[in-house]
Amino acid sequence: MKRKKVTALGLAAAMAAASVMGCSSDNASSTSAASQNGNGQTEAQTSGNESAGEKTVINIWSKDRHDAAYVQEKIDEYNANNTDNVEVVYTLYTDNYQQAVDMAAQNGELPDILVYQNTVFDKYVGQGQWADLYSFMDEDMKTYFADVITPGYNEIDGKLYFIPTTGTTCRLFYNTEIFDRVGIDGPPETLEEMVEDAKLITSQLKGEGIYGFAENMKSASSALERSMCIGLQAETGTNYGYNFKEGKYDFTLWAPTLSLWKELLSEECAFPGCESLDIDPLRTQFAAGKIGMYFSYSHAEPGVYENQFPMDSSKWDVAPIPTVGGQRLGKQYYDGTSGYLINAKSPNLETAFQVYKDIFTNEDYLVGYYEGGYGVSILPSILEKANPSEDFKNKKWLLINKETDALLPKPPHAAFTSGMIVEGEDLYKTAESIYYGDADIDSTLQDLTDRYNKAYEDAIANGTGWEIKIDNYDPMNPTLE
Amino acid sequence: MKQSSNPALGRKKLKQALEAYSFLIPNLILFLSCSIYPVLWALKYVFYQYGGYGTGTPRFVGLENLARVFRDKVYWESIVHTFTYGFGKILIIIPLAFFLAFLLNTHKRGHGAVQSIIFLPTIMSSAVMGLVFYLLFNAYNGEINQYLMKAHIISQPINWLGKDHAMTTLIITAVWGGLGNYMVYFIAGIQQVSTDAIESARIDGANRLQTIWYIMIPMLGPILKIILMLAITSAFNDITNVMVLTEGGPNNATMVASLYSYQYFFPISAAQATVPQYGYGAALSVVTACIAGIVTVFYLKLSKKLDDIY
Repeated sequence: MKRKKVTALGLAAAMAAASVMGCSSDNASSTSAASQNGNGQTEAQTSGNESAGEKTVINIWSKDRHDAAYVQEKIDEYNANNTDNVEVVYTLYTDNYQQAVDMAAQNGELPDILVYQNTVFDKYVGQGQWADLYSFMDEDMKTYFADVITPGYNEIDGKLYFIPTTGTTCRLFYNTEIFDRVGIDGPPETLEEMVEDAKLITSQLKGEGIYGFAENMKSASSALERSMCIGLQAETGTNYGYNFKEGKYDFTLWAPTLSLWKELLSEECAFPGCESLDIDPLRTQFAAGKIGMYFSYSHAEPGVYENQFPMDSSKWDVAPIPTVGGQRLGKQYYDGTSGYLINAKSPNLETAFQVYKDIFTNEDYLVGYYEGGYGVSILPSILEKANPSEDFKNKKWLLINKETDALLPKPPHAAFTSGMIVEGEDLYKTAESIYYGDADIDSTLQDLTDRYNKAYEDAIANGTGWEIKIDNYDPMNPTLE
Repeated sequence: MKQSSNPALGRKKLKQALEAYSFLIPNLILFLSCSIYPVLWALKYVFYQYGGYGTGTPRFVGLENLARVFRDKVYWESIVHTFTYGFGKILIIIPLAFFLAFLLNTHKRGHGAVQSIIFLPTIMSSAVMGLVFYLLFNAYNGEINQYLMKAHIISQPINWLGKDHAMTTLIITAVWGGLGNYMVYFIAGIQQVSTDAIESARIDGANRLQTIWYIMIPMLGPILKIILMLAITSAFNDITNVMVLTEGGPNNATMVASLYSYQYFFPISAAQATVPQYGYGAALSVVTACIAGIVTVFYLKLSKKLDDIY
């Protein structure tokens, strides 16, 4: 009996230990994974120190899949050749980058260097999380990157937080072969022409499974952020419905565009199943010659059709996003990419900057990056020296064009760190209710305008936001401050 | 009552208590930290507006989040979709699982293998399952459409993930994914049915169908009650399928309540400017949990009869 009890107690202890160990072993394995992946700075350093003697481990996090192989290659070279006893650990997060950063920030485990993403930057810049690069840069470096330093964007209150070396914007991508087959001379300049072209392609080539237009409509926000919203910046001179001069939202200006988008997504024009399409399945179908036109980011597509879903470069081209009646009252956004933030709280801050400088700002890296098609350089010296692929040489709209593209100030819903709580559907889902639903365009857009303005006013009243108004704002020459 | 003054007895009682607590405490700690604490956390944030770490301090808003839930048209539509999804799934999966369990509950050669094949989707990742179903059901080159067209059942591809058919597709996916599980429950139940009762019925002249209807199904009552309850509650939590296949679209046609709440905590493929709304997400979760609770209580009342074993 006694033996039984002892055994039972032993088993109970084992079970308890197992359940606790279950958790801790999870933790341990995630720590070890973290160490391997650079998931936590402290752990990674411990691991690094154990495995490589006195080496200082610098962790870099990225969200970019498209350039991961190139960056990893450069990091491997650096690890093999550096004489500073530094080991760089590169970790790729894709869909959950923001969440990973949030978790790490909360636990004080941010890596030493992070790829710039505007939400990540905005959220933590006020907390002193990012290092001022000016305090480490010499005069040569400051001069070299002077063209891509913009007050209100990457330089705030005299501090420089990141240096974008490439840029991206959104364009119309079209299949030249399909255009030739149905007798379309060139890319549409107006949205009305685009609808007509899409109808023509679908009506003539539907039997072969070829359709006029497609977009990755599974996620309204992902689709519209690379297409309609950007076209509307140029067409209306507002940014996501926000008029900086008047300091308020007005989505009613979207009515003509949404009306044409409804046609564009109808059976007469659109690729079947657009409603559930993600961007990669769309690209495979475009590469297979089944789609006439779609919108996407200028930096990504050349690499995709070069490496991921091969397509003959002569079969596709790129053009500006068509607008209603060809109206262009403002510039459309471009964003700087390939920027890196340095964790100001890193115990190896100086080493981190040195690693960043040695790997990501040297000319060989920047030239190779552009030539490899991983991004469109915005550095004059690189544009001059590099010999990019034929796509970038022949398709001028892949490049950032200062005539049509500019850095734009952020509207309130993007600028306020704690957000602007808009009751009801956001602007993307509201647009979806118009083009995929039966919502009345005018009344729905008026309601959207009212809800966004109310949320903006509430944010100011609550102290979670502030007034954003630029009295002399000119959409054709936008200023950030 | 007079307390025992015997020290040996006291030590024995203490020992017994120690034994009991050594079993209880580890589980109690895990239960409190992993189950109760998150619930209390969610209940607290119902009264706050909070965007998560790095977005400032939580702001007390009283009952505003709850009031907003009752004004939120999309949420109430998502509740309707949840019921459609749940009932659609239950109506197909329960009879089908019972039928398969009945057929395969023998020791005939090959039945074990068939059981394993049917059970296989249960252990597969829902996310992977969703992706596979996307490839099967997509309108432009999905295999389902191709087979149906080859068999001359349809002449034009069906837009399975479009607003008219997306919910049906989700239900088919859910049935496929859960069938094996429910089949195993039924097999366990059928094996508990007394063979004496079945043999008596046969001796009394009942045919196979009558035996199933009048003997087997009534005797499965208690387990059927549990199976239905599991099916109902899981319908309220099932989001992976929906997230991978449709993200609740098109135009919220497949938005279910749990996914709607979830996206306020973790915005799914959302716009870069989207900030989580923990407070509102918590309010939605609490209201959804209340609705699920009401449905479960209502079901338990209705299903009391299933407890009576003949």
